[in-house]
Amino acid sequence: MSLLLPIAANLPEPVKQTLHSTTLDNGIVLLGEDLPGLESVAVAFHTPAGAVHDGPGRCGLATLSGEMMLRGAGDRTSRDIVEVLEGSGIQWAQSVSTSHASFAGAMVARQLPTALPIYADILRRPRLPDDELENARQMVLQNLAGTEDDPAHRAMSALRQLHYPHPLGMPSEGISADVEAIGIDDVRSFVRGHVVPSGMIIAIAGRIDWDDFVTRVERLFGDWSTDDTSAVAIGNRGERIRHVPHDSQQTHIALAWSVPPYRHDESYEASAALSVLGGGSSSRLFSEVRERRGLCYSVSAGYHTLRDYASAICYSGTSAARAQETLDVMLAEIDRLPGTIEEAELDRVKSRAKSALVMQQESSAARAAWIARQWYHLGTVRSLAEELARYDRLNVASVEGWLAANRPAGLTVVSLGKEPLEVPREVSP
Amino acid sequence: MKFLHERLPNGLDVIAEVTDTALSTSIGFFVKTGARDETDAEWGVSHFLEHMVFKGTSDLSADEINRRFDWMGASANAFTSEEDTAYHAAVLPEQQIEATALLARMMRPALREEDFDTEKLVILEEIRMYDDQPPFGADDRCRATFFGHHPLARSVLGTVESIERMPVETMRDYHRRRYSPGNIVLCATGAVDFEALVESARQWCGDWEPLAIPPRRAPLDLRASRGPTLELLTRPTSTLEYAVRMSPGPAGNDDDRFAAKLLAAILGDTSGSRLYWAMVDTGRAEQASCHHQDFLDAGMFATQLSCDPEDAEELLGMIDEVYRGAAEKGLDRREFEQNRNKLAGRWVLLGERPRRRLFDVGPEWAHSGDYRSVADDLRTIENLSLEDVHRVLARWPLHGTGSTVLAGPLPLDPSLETASEAQ
Repeated sequence: MSLLLPIAANLPEPVKQTLHSTTLDNGIVLLGEDLPGLESVAVAFHTPAGAVHDGPGRCGLATLSGEMMLRGAGDRTSRDIVEVLEGSGIQWAQSVSTSHASFAGAMVARQLPTALPIYADILRRPRLPDDELENARQMVLQNLAGTEDDPAHRAMSALRQLHYPHPLGMPSEGISADVEAIGIDDVRSFVRGHVVPSGMIIAIAGRIDWDDFVTRVERLFGDWSTDDTSAVAIGNRGERIRHVPHDSQQTHIALAWSVPPYRHDESYEASAALSVLGGGSSSRLFSEVRERRGLCYSVSAGYHTLRDYASAICYSGTSAARAQETLDVMLAEIDRLPGTIEEAELDRVKSRAKSALVMQQESSAARAAWIARQWYHLGTVRSLAEELARYDRLNVASVEGWLAANRPAGLTVVSLGKEPLEVPREVSP
Repeated sequence: MKFLHERLPNGLDVIAEVTDTALSTSIGFFVKTGARDETDAEWGVSHFLEHMVFKGTSDLSADEINRRFDWMGASANAFTSEEDTAYHAAVLPEQQIEATALLARMMRPALREEDFDTEKLVILEEIRMYDDQPPFGADDRCRATFFGHHPLARSVLGTVESIERMPVETMRDYHRRRYSPGNIVLCATGAVDFEALVESARQWCGDWEPLAIPPRRAPLDLRASRGPTLELLTRPTSTLEYAVRMSPGPAGNDDDRFAAKLLAAILGDTSGSRLYWAMVDTGRAEQASCHHQDFLDAGMFATQLSCDPEDAEELLGMIDEVYRGAAEKGLDRREFEQNRNKLAGRWVLLGERPRRRLFDVGPEWAHSGDYRSVADDLRTIENLSLEDVHRVLARWPLHGTGSTVLAGPLPLDPSLETASEAQ
């Protein structure tokens, strides 16, 4: 059989890439990427109205506000909005993260002129009708009740809440008691204060006509101006170790420690180290915990970043009787990582990352999300060539160097299940 | 986009949908076998075998397989359903030959007893994981009731008992019978070098011994056609109540299947549908949706509801009223057109992703021996008329019928039981 070469040695010339960016006078950043060969365009509006601005006793306000923005805007009722979007074959989505409220759509390119004015209405002229608040609130509460039944989600949510300084880890989907207390004035003032041009990113990718897009956005958003939003005060983080009692067959284990955020250059070393630990099916956690010992179905490690904070996050779910062994093996693998990374492991990590980057170019929605994410974190969009070259510069010495200076320490450990687990003292002093 | 097909002398079909502008190549082995092909003693073996295929061959260890996929930068995985077992990898085009060779070699796994015993533990964990998650087994129970004695009644994962008592010989025998070349399709989509694909197939699969495969179609005995049933699975610690209802619909070989998917979208898509406006938009339900699923010789509409337990009975009644209203008063042209455009838009977007196309092209060929391009499907969708959807509604009424299973905190309630006993 033929010799297997790592992809790093024979990756094709980076795909020809055309990126665009411009900033309107009111601060809205427009980003674009041509993806030749696609029939579709995807557009995403990211407003700085994320859950980080929920405020004390109002956890879920951003999510409820995002939902309310869809319930009538400009001359359109909420049914009009959905009927026009869906009647034009536009796949729409709305979501709220820690940092942003986002409204997105993917469609065949000719539908873009139909879509843009609708998004302009939603963002600039939401009606926020009093008589829709109860329905919207109930919808948010239903979603919250659904997450109560998802043990893996609960474990990860608790982990983020403890690990990140307040309010960065608060659940964007909200907390029931807080959602119950939100009034229409809270929603209106939240939207007025945070759905604003300053800090807003509009990203488009696919079969685009950039000049035409900029002209249309200028016309729809150019005369929109508001004051800057206030900064969020960052508080303390939670306790290091928590057990969440839950009547389930499996115990869910979630671990976190701090690593550099994406905008730090060494985040590449950090995410490569985490990928060696638990990224692919040849990763250490997958090999040791699942393949060799059969302890669980899912186990992984990954990199999660906000703008100013980031975490290494490990997860596994396994039956209660084997949860302690699973945690012990996970901790042993984390402990063993510094000083033991092999070149072949790192080559695999680089191949996976580079291959995923190239393949992402096949999806307009994925690229629109990616370029917006880069702008938010970096204030620029890196070209694919730059990204690939940065992966090429990763080597064992650079990853080990970073690991030596930043040994995994101060772990946050969450378990969710019938019985608490024993966490060794040295893991989380 | 072009379609190519070649059959090896031993019966293995090699097909490809080639897209010149694609940046990736997706490769999959689609084995025409799944839960419906199992006996009681084999319950869960298709899925268990899917795991074991990754545990290595006589000359490749499990670690080696995992390392090679990662080395290629492949996004590789597998799935098992009632009717298919598929092994797939998406790679950059220059890795096509390596990825095809690796997948092909995996189709002849060693099935070592030691690996079998370890992997059994992983399967049991997977079963427990799903058992802890919504809809808490309501889907499996509903399928069992709805399909009755039909082979589609069998759940894919098996049960803790069926997996625990299964010896490795059962799997070896199943593999020998079901992984015959005539029962497998090698499919590739995206930037495919078809000549190289066929050459890889000859090199790695050419010596697979052909075996006769018994026909799969089974006479259909849908219990649901005898009237509605209702069962309760009590899960005291769950927050919401989860309901699954299955009722008959057109099968995979029925020309009405596209109209059925459009009907399901109008009635119960996850946004903009009748159920959505009636229950989700108002915050009565976390989810209230309907979709159509087709199999070789059967089809169904699956309705899913999750809501506060005390509202479950009322909302199930409301769903029935929504369905009855559609059947008695018909659908209006505007919602018909909105949903037809929505479906068409969805198809275009899915169609331009070769990694996604693999899962349309492969199973379609495995099931029917046919190839349908995105353009074929789009033409079919665009030619659908309101009358087509009304005909489906008349042929397959969704109200007053179906098997329903509830899972959640609701205790066994006499009024609900009466509804069940009345049948």
